[in-house]
Amino acid sequence: VTADLESISSAFASIVGGSRVVSETAACAALSVDGKVPRLVVRPASADQVPAILGCAGEHDVAVIACGSGTKLSIGSPPRRYDVALLLDGMNRVWHYEPADLTITVEPGMKLGDFQDHVGRDGLWLPLDPAGGPRASLGGILATNSAGSLRLSYGAPRDMVLGMKIATTEGKLIKTGGRVVKNVVGYDLGKLLVGSYGTLGVIVEASLKLFPLPGQRATFVLPAGTLGIARDLRRRILDSPLQPMRMVLLNGAAVTLVEGGVVLGQGSEEPELWVEMGGSPRVIERSARELEALGKATGVAVRPLEPAAAQAAWSRVSGFRALIGAAFSGAAILKVLLPDAASEEFLSRAEQEAENDKVPLAAFGQMGVGVLHLCVLEPASAVSLAALIKRLRGAAQALGGVLVVEHCHWDIKSRVDVWGTAGDGLAVMSKLKAAWDPKGILAPGRFVGGL
Amino acid sequence: MKPSPLVRELTRLVGRDAVLWRPEDLMLYEYDALSSLAQPQAVVFPTATAHVVSILKLAAREKLPVVARGAGTGLSGGAVVTEGGIVVGFSRMKKILEIDIENRRARVQPGVVNLDLSLAVSDQGYYFAPDPSSQKACTIGGNVAENSGGPHTLAYGVTTNHVLGLEAVLPDGEVIHVGASFWDRPGYDLTGFLVGSEGTLAIVTEIIVRLCRKPEEVKTLLSVFDRVVDATRTVAAITARGITPAALEMMDGFTLRAVEEATHAGYPMDSAAVLLIEVEGLRELAEEHAEQIEAVCRENHAREVRRAQTVEERELLWRGRKNAFGALGRISPNFYVQDGVIPRTRLPEMLEFIEQVGKKYELRIGNIFHAGDGNLHPLLLFDARDKDQSQRVGKAAAEILSKCVEMGGSLTGEHGVGIEKRDLMPLIFSNEDLEMMRKLKAVFNPHGNLNPGKVLPTGRVCGELRVQAAVGELT
Repeated sequence: VTADLESISSAFASIVGGSRVVSETAACAALSVDGKVPRLVVRPASADQVPAILGCAGEHDVAVIACGSGTKLSIGSPPRRYDVALLLDGMNRVWHYEPADLTITVEPGMKLGDFQDHVGRDGLWLPLDPAGGPRASLGGILATNSAGSLRLSYGAPRDMVLGMKIATTEGKLIKTGGRVVKNVVGYDLGKLLVGSYGTLGVIVEASLKLFPLPGQRATFVLPAGTLGIARDLRRRILDSPLQPMRMVLLNGAAVTLVEGGVVLGQGSEEPELWVEMGGSPRVIERSARELEALGKATGVAVRPLEPAAAQAAWSRVSGFRALIGAAFSGAAILKVLLPDAASEEFLSRAEQEAENDKVPLAAFGQMGVGVLHLCVLEPASAVSLAALIKRLRGAAQALGGVLVVEHCHWDIKSRVDVWGTAGDGLAVMSKLKAAWDPKGILAPGRFVGGL
Repeated sequence: MKPSPLVRELTRLVGRDAVLWRPEDLMLYEYDALSSLAQPQAVVFPTATAHVVSILKLAAREKLPVVARGAGTGLSGGAVVTEGGIVVGFSRMKKILEIDIENRRARVQPGVVNLDLSLAVSDQGYYFAPDPSSQKACTIGGNVAENSGGPHTLAYGVTTNHVLGLEAVLPDGEVIHVGASFWDRPGYDLTGFLVGSEGTLAIVTEIIVRLCRKPEEVKTLLSVFDRVVDATRTVAAITARGITPAALEMMDGFTLRAVEEATHAGYPMDSAAVLLIEVEGLRELAEEHAEQIEAVCRENHAREVRRAQTVEERELLWRGRKNAFGALGRISPNFYVQDGVIPRTRLPEMLEFIEQVGKKYELRIGNIFHAGDGNLHPLLLFDARDKDQSQRVGKAAAEILSKCVEMGGSLTGEHGVGIEKRDLMPLIFSNEDLEMMRKLKAVFNPHGNLNPGKVLPTGRVCGELRVQAAVGELT
């Protein structure tokens, strides 16, 4: 850092007020990223303060990482530098909520759970089950394009954004899109920001599309027995007229984890396919009947979950990170993105690799979406984990996919590139990064290819 | 007449039968569905990505404008040249390269006609969801450039929600591959940024799209109203009930009489407005939604709600809708179609406003639009030979778009900015917003020779709607 802490601190204080600039060790340590601790935490109160903060950071050449609830701060390469944490949790207001139009404009610090409560009163929701669950902030969900298994029927955050306001490190506030549900006016800057992991600009306001809540929901567990049967079931369900809201494949270890049991290797349970249906009683009844028939055809006895228990069970499935965090402090979470049809084959290879290393591996696959999360629960050492990740990445690539390390102890990150390669678009991406953030002060080095 | 050195060079690169250069041939490529401004120097038809690379390298060296073109059905002037240069026509790159049903994906060349892809996977129970009214002619490359919509994008999203990856050539000839056949490849979403960039950032040479499962049941309803306001209120009421129909289209009485005369779809000649509504999905779902929608229509004073009983009846109703622009062409020498968007709850107010504008400027205006997502297509009828009338069309159109913006809406829902609305961009965006767009454009297209004069304001005129060619010479 070129400028001294005190003058930077007072510059920020003149924008947001002294009480919103914090330098206490504990507050800073709470927002550390990959072992790097920021020297200041700045908490803006409103959208118009953010361009000024970023502009000021640019003038002083201090590196900034934006953060909402911090549920996904572990994702990314270690920052090249990190001076200021921009904590957006205080910006959680709702603007322009139009239930009859199914649109809303919100600030990024609002937590998904609070948001769902807000719009749920009108029978609406944002159909996302992202990492971090209800605690995840909307800004963080957008910055990481964090969908979950509901993507199967509703799409990802990128598909739900109507417009946004973005603060830049040149101190500007840029608008893109609008508040109506269909709009092709000008370049779609929002697409660049969604999933940019805070490396281009800071989203300070977003207009989103809302959806009607399904009348009823019902969850069916299909104990598949083998991955081969799981594959057969997935194909039959997706090729049927049924419209599942979400469908998740859990391997044996994942089943044990969700049931709260002790995970010992892979063998304790058999893989299960969880399917959630939504709609009217007649639609649910028909779906149940069809699933039953598909189960019979594959030798699987379908088990409906008690409606009262189903949502809690789903929050354990989509919130698996919390289950792991509690019991396995050294665990690594890997996200594999691949053509959907290769899901089970990849999982079978991954289980074999883990078996060879004698490490328990829990897997949660978003079926029909092509996203698989692998949790390496108890890696023996950094060296063996890094080697396992490389082998798993190789397996993903062989099946036409990629592997991203979403969570691991930061010392692993020096042994393995968390993102993998960016492909031949990297040069354009670097230029886009320079156009948005010419001084390179936003989360420097955290994204793919050192962006 | 002898071919120019440019034409000779192009011929050398892509072959003798792949270059048009005689004035009478070039004339056909002056136009799209908006306008004609200038004639290209040559039209060239690549058959491979390598051809596109060599054409772009030549254009870069000679500092010539390059405009990519699919079927030329665009409505905002995206596929025409503004100052000469080379038109790259994609009518020979129309192969479906790969169909992967288990992954619900297809990989296509940009010249594939939209409907042809759906037909190719129809037997297996799948289709490509974006369905512009021009889908029998328009290409998927054009859909990608314009981020096209269509009646059924209400439930399924526009083109950008259905494109996973692209191969594209930058103006310097560099080929990039963005996105993939799976979601969320790490990196910035260049696919999302290129879709809808109206051919100003790169020329797309390959597209990976999602395919959707055909629904088990489709129900098509025609709801007839004696007052326009009842129809527009019904639209808001359907959304408020938590029903998202697959399509929810509206036509006013004026338009539907013209359509009926041309198509004989069975639309009632004496009504004030009709809603064409489609619900689909599981049999049970479609039936329930159809019943609920019928009830909403009756609560809002629908005179009659008809259900298409057969596939033929359904197709006839849709043919009427999809051929509506042509039907209006029968009763007026010229028409100008708009594409503004408003929050759907404001439809009653907006329709009244459009009627007043029509009266004020003494113009006939037909209304036909994607009511479900608030995407308006007022059609302003006129005779381009009548200078005064043409001027009034320009003014009326600008007033309608300004009202859309005032209501928190947009200038364009699916047709694109192109030449037509570029100088109205400041109604929506600040100088800083536009400056950022310019910077990002320069990342891809630093010398500006790719589709020049589109999307961004030229700065020459302020807040002008470029409908000259369509409505005659406005000065």
